[in-house]
Amino acid sequence: MNLYLRRTARILLSAVTISALAVAATACSPGGGGSTGDSQSLTMWTFKQSHVAALQKAAESFKQKTGISVKVEAITPDDAFIARVQAAAQTRTMPDVLEVHTNGDDFTFGAAGLLEDLAGKTPWTDRYLPSVAGEGTVTDVYYKQSLEKGAKTAGIKLNQRFSVPLTIGTFGIVYANKERLTAAGVTQPPKTWEDFIGVLDAVRKARPNDGGVSIGFQSPTTGMEWLMQPMAYGKLGKAGFKGLFSNQRDQNWSSPNGRSVLEAYNQVTPYWMPGTQSLTIDDADIAFAQGKSSFDIGGTFTLAFLAQNGMNADNIVTFPVPAPRGGAVPDLSLAPFALTGLSVSATSGNKDGAIKWLDHLAQSDVATQFAKDALDVPPVNMGGDPGAALGPVLGAMIGSFGSGDSAYNPGDTTYRPPSYDAAVVARALMELTPLKKADVPTAGASLTKIIDGYWAGK
Amino acid sequence: MTTDVTSLGAATGTRGRTAPARGRRRRYQGREVAWGYALVAPAIVLFAVMGVYTLFWGLQLSFVRWNGLTPTWTWVGVQNYLDLLYASPVFAPPVRTAALNTVWVMVAAPLLTVAISFPLALALNRARRFVGLLRSVYFVPYITTGIAVYLAWQYVLEPNGAINTLLRALGLGTLSQPQGWLGNPDTALPTLIVIMVWSAVPVATLLYLTGLQTIDPALIEAAQIDGAGWWRVNLSVVWPLLRGITAVILLLNLRDALQGFQIFLIMTDGGPGEHTKVLGLETYRLAFQTQLAPTLGLASALGWMLFVAALIVAFVNLRVNRERA
Repeated sequence: MNLYLRRTARILLSAVTISALAVAATACSPGGGGSTGDSQSLTMWTFKQSHVAALQKAAESFKQKTGISVKVEAITPDDAFIARVQAAAQTRTMPDVLEVHTNGDDFTFGAAGLLEDLAGKTPWTDRYLPSVAGEGTVTDVYYKQSLEKGAKTAGIKLNQRFSVPLTIGTFGIVYANKERLTAAGVTQPPKTWEDFIGVLDAVRKARPNDGGVSIGFQSPTTGMEWLMQPMAYGKLGKAGFKGLFSNQRDQNWSSPNGRSVLEAYNQVTPYWMPGTQSLTIDDADIAFAQGKSSFDIGGTFTLAFLAQNGMNADNIVTFPVPAPRGGAVPDLSLAPFALTGLSVSATSGNKDGAIKWLDHLAQSDVATQFAKDALDVPPVNMGGDPGAALGPVLGAMIGSFGSGDSAYNPGDTTYRPPSYDAAVVARALMELTPLKKADVPTAGASLTKIIDGYWAGK
Repeated sequence: MTTDVTSLGAATGTRGRTAPARGRRRRYQGREVAWGYALVAPAIVLFAVMGVYTLFWGLQLSFVRWNGLTPTWTWVGVQNYLDLLYASPVFAPPVRTAALNTVWVMVAAPLLTVAISFPLALALNRARRFVGLLRSVYFVPYITTGIAVYLAWQYVLEPNGAINTLLRALGLGTLSQPQGWLGNPDTALPTLIVIMVWSAVPVATLLYLTGLQTIDPALIEAAQIDGAGWWRVNLSVVWPLLRGITAVILLLNLRDALQGFQIFLIMTDGGPGEHTKVLGLETYRLAFQTQLAPTLGLASALGWMLFVAALIVAFVNLRVNRERA
């Protein structure tokens, strides 16, 4: 190589290196990137894979109507979604629209200034069911919680609105294999907790190998929040239930009330599917779909996943977790709440378009079609016969929704101390069941100690 | 601009045809020096950004309360460290549980690795047939270790998995685990330790094999002439000569036990309950699994404490081995 070529090569090498560094530095810079979206396109992130196809279908009609295209991207699981948003917040590469956990992520993102305040910008909310129309709005309770030390939502302001509902539903739905129930002589869903235990016993006796209950205990909150808490609410009523999570010794988990709830919950222990304590939520649902268990505990959202994994919807019986006999709420029902919502990024380059997309998804026909495609429950009023539009299983679940004090609302977490970590509490409960490493008094004392710690740190 | 580079060539071992002779001083022109700096600049800038900056940013993070989202953070000083150690009734107990589990892993995994890999290396070193095949077979766990293998182990260990099936087939059903080997709180952590050892043995064996082949055969012969049998030769001659390699193996496995969490995250996520939670996993949980609670600073603080613990372990290990050498 002659001298000229060597010099040229060195200059080129240096130029390429410097350019690459400049590009890398720009990409890494907190000020880099910028808002997304132009007047004719939007990007949307969701953490639910089962919503992608349904949203894309809705996006087609939205483009026909407005000329704006929407690109939907699923980021799963939830942890990965959160991490992606954290990274995007730092690099200012947020999408235009996000699907969020209502009254949770939306408030946290909003508190960080990542979301547009939608208050006064969503005139279509009268299309939603009255019970969920206001969800995503900072009420007085949520505002007061945000003022506590260590609160995740510190910074939100009263009456701000950070999301509108996309799907509603509830936890505490028992899915049962209809054929196996019938074969075991069970023809009616259980009306009480004791009946429920009796049904579990009958099916287990008929099918010792695959007659158990699956639930994704690798996420420990499932057992506590999806099965035990609805039962506890039915047993103690609203005030008694809230008392379990207080720091009052005569009401909390060490009290007679607490022990009676733990004893009732412990009755399920013999009926867990072997190994369910190691399963993820998805694995537990798959085990039910594959016939390895005869019962699966979940929520309204579980149906879509079961269908995706080959479970025949005609072979499913669903019923809400029942209250114990003689409980404070004998006619226990489950209150629907907004599970997921839609938020607009504060840095969106097309906020008007994004808000139009939210409006479009709240149109009754679009929402119904979305619900059919995603096998999820929409927040709009579907008339007197939701089963006609959504099928008998989903329709039956919607039919079992209730309201008022006789309905357990899993979305209401206002009774908890501000820094409450549900996973930590639920892991302690797992020592009672399914792990059988603690008895009722020990488990009660353990829960009390943890929750007292949260109150002490308030 | 001129720079004295008299000893540069010798120091870096570059003795090419253009290298100056020893003792002669060559003064580079400013242009050449500039090129030199330009060419090393990418590495320096990358290290500054990816290494030094992130290091100090991470250290700073351990003194704040932040959830990774808000534009500002709250300075809390050493409170994060105190909360993790004892001050917080919320954060300290899980850390203590994780620390206890981590200690079990730190003790069991390195010792078992050495206990298995040293005899294995001795056996492989004596093998006369199929040497290449045998060494390849024993190295398979290392090259296949990863997410796929951990998931495969999950299937093997589940209630109706291969191990329980085999035990039942052999009439040893009482030893099988009805809840699965990872579902029983008493067997979950030991099972994970066994899998860690399974993953670590190949490299340790390879290191021992390398060491065995550097031992002068005359030493072995001398010991044998003096009447030493197989056990005595290996315990009194070979083992002391390989003490340095043992120290490296222990150090590598201690580091893995202290800071690694991949296997725990993938196979159990710390469960059942908290029975396989280790400090590395708790750091990850505080950073990414607290539903956006402002615990990134706590995660960073725990990470720094693990770093200090790793330094102490390495220092003690080296000192002990140096004193014995």
